[in-house]
Amino acid sequence: MINIFSQLMTEANKELFGLTLDPQNASEGPFVLGNGDFFIEIPVAFGCSFSDLTLTGANGTALPDAAELIDRGTEVGVESRLCSAIKVASHYLTAGLIRTPDMIITSNSCCDAMDTLGNLMNGYKPWAHIPRFAMDAPHSFDDASYEYFGKQLRQAVTFMEDVTGRKMDWDRLKEVCIESNKQGQLLLEFQELKKAIPCPANPDLARQGTEIKNWTKDRISPMVTTWLEQLVSAAEQRVKEGKGIDGVDEKIRFLWQDLAGSWASGTVLKRLQTELGAVCIMDYVSFGTWTPIDLSSEEAMFTSFGKRFLLEDPMNRQALHNTELFCNDILQIVKDFKCDAVVMPAHISHRDTNSRLKVVKDMCREKGIPCLVLGIDIWDKRYMTPDVAFDRMKTFFEVSGLLT
Amino acid sequence: METIKNSEIFKKFSGIAASLKNSEIENWKKQGGKVVGYFCPVIPEEVFIAAGLLPFRMRGTGSTTTDSADVYFKTVNCGFPRHTFNLALIGEYDFLDGFVANTCCDTILRTADNWKHAGLKTPFIYCLDNAHASGELMVGHFHNQLLKMKDAVEKQFNVEITEQKLKDAVKLCNETKLLQQKLYELRKLPNPPITGSETVAVMVAGMSMPKEQYNKDLKILLDELGTIKNEKVYSSRLMIIGCGHDDTLLCDIIEELGGIVVTDQTCFGTRTMIKTISEEGNDTLLSIAGYQVLDVPYCPKTIGTHPQRKQLIMDLAKDYKVDGIVGQCFISCDPWAGELYLLKSELHEAGIPFIWFEREYIPDLVGQLRTRIEAFLETINQI
Repeated sequence: MINIFSQLMTEANKELFGLTLDPQNASEGPFVLGNGDFFIEIPVAFGCSFSDLTLTGANGTALPDAAELIDRGTEVGVESRLCSAIKVASHYLTAGLIRTPDMIITSNSCCDAMDTLGNLMNGYKPWAHIPRFAMDAPHSFDDASYEYFGKQLRQAVTFMEDVTGRKMDWDRLKEVCIESNKQGQLLLEFQELKKAIPCPANPDLARQGTEIKNWTKDRISPMVTTWLEQLVSAAEQRVKEGKGIDGVDEKIRFLWQDLAGSWASGTVLKRLQTELGAVCIMDYVSFGTWTPIDLSSEEAMFTSFGKRFLLEDPMNRQALHNTELFCNDILQIVKDFKCDAVVMPAHISHRDTNSRLKVVKDMCREKGIPCLVLGIDIWDKRYMTPDVAFDRMKTFFEVSGLLT
Repeated sequence: METIKNSEIFKKFSGIAASLKNSEIENWKKQGGKVVGYFCPVIPEEVFIAAGLLPFRMRGTGSTTTDSADVYFKTVNCGFPRHTFNLALIGEYDFLDGFVANTCCDTILRTADNWKHAGLKTPFIYCLDNAHASGELMVGHFHNQLLKMKDAVEKQFNVEITEQKLKDAVKLCNETKLLQQKLYELRKLPNPPITGSETVAVMVAGMSMPKEQYNKDLKILLDELGTIKNEKVYSSRLMIIGCGHDDTLLCDIIEELGGIVVTDQTCFGTRTMIKTISEEGNDTLLSIAGYQVLDVPYCPKTIGTHPQRKQLIMDLAKDYKVDGIVGQCFISCDPWAGELYLLKSELHEAGIPFIWFEREYIPDLVGQLRTRIEAFLETINQI
């Protein structure tokens, strides 16, 4: 059970990667390119290929030649401290390696670096003739904001219809949403099961499940639902049997309050788990609230999309909104998942997170929660190597009295 | 008048721009007036003026360190908010009765949260959610956000911001914009009576003192400038683009090297006055929203609006007969870095010499900057 998701994820990513990077790729349907993944259900229902250039760059940082790709991205010369994933995406773009899209849809979410990539895509000269659509992701999380973003997504559908001459099949969109709701529910169920002590399965599967659901070529397909059902079923069985993660003697449960990035899961987090019994119980991709998409009307459906995007997309939730929400999430996760500590990776290019570390540290101190700020580049392990990160975390667990 | 440096008004503006506190603010406060600091020009000062408040544009003038602020903002964050926040932490912004940040970038948007957390004794702290794309839908949303901010200001300061007060405030600020446009017109002359450094001082002062007085003073200054016969020959006419520009560093370097800065596309310069707000209609707040979202989408955080920014820069370059453009971007400012990267090839194609660099908000490598600008000026002069 454990490995199948990782394998599927790798295969699915490879396909998606090929779709974006292979200029000769002629998959069926129009190709929409974005700087973020802001409307998962829509392109699936519309029958078009969608790729998120940020994710393509992030995938690049997981390749064996990641260091060279990042360096090439630096040489593009946009900004010395630009996010490494965006540097790689900029390299792919400016080197002419990205398949020419039929349309470009960009949004300001969810961070300055992704906005910058959106502007680079919009300003890329060979694509000057390509129709484009820009959306405003507000930094508020209330009904008016969800409705506002939902309206923009509705306009995006009209834009896609105008560009392609196709019409949205609204029944198909409902079908996709029903499937998406099922998958959201399954992810929530797995999230619930992760609360058990010991954790019944590698918590990273939640991240991989979320990524498969949202960010791969097979997004929202019934096949993904089946995978998630298998995951939940197996985890349920292990909870009943009181089993923890295979080969892990769980001693510490901690929250990794950021994206896992491209190297941490397979290196430092894996070592912490197997060598020290320190289990990363939650990260910011795995964490989801997955409110079901309201199918009662077209307007309600789009407002739900707006909410999903603004409040429930992991990185948007992290980056767009105020520190109070961020801190409340930390406290809630620590409480619900019985975490012993909080680790703030503080990815160097997440300017938003690096602007709120004192608030988080003070809150943790007040609540008696050990908190460590790492300051890594989640896409480039040269900035702080996995071994150094491991040592720092091990020392942190020791001095916090969590590891004896 | 032989030179603007002899002007008492200019000396006043220059003094105001060179520090945070000034006699105009002191007088305002002595009379019971309240001051609201705001970070970015997309936060409409008209709303504060309509509430009877004095809007003060936040800046890090005089800052020499970020020692205190670095606990809140890591050094991977831009120096502009770090230095500004540091000044607040050491009490330099204690004269503020309100502080308004906005969602213009990932660092500035956190200043309101940190301001609250630091326990700074500013009674009113607010973060405005501005639009990040340009379109009719965005106007409506931004209008709603402005209504929320207006309500919060009214509640905090126990005032009513009526439609008439808003109209009066827009009229007053439009007058400022028109006067500043006249100032910029003078810079189109072959031998402008005012340098780039001097213009920065005049512009910054306009965001740091009561508008009525500023307008009166600026009228006098414009009259004085009309009498100046500048016969100095400049090696080249330059334009500055990029973020910030509340200091005179770049202008000083360029002008010490024999060039002159004749215009800009910065958020302390043309971004604030290139267009006026419509005084027609019965919903002034909606007009303000329309102005910010549709008329002046000149911040690169406004996605999809690069063509408008590029066009503005091209138009300014032509109108002011510039020989070259200097772009500046504070280290860690991703949006402006992307914008300048795009402009590099576009300006090259248009035949406009262009150089851009990253710099710290409070610069520590002035010598390097000077060398690069000197080389750029030499290149231009050889063309």
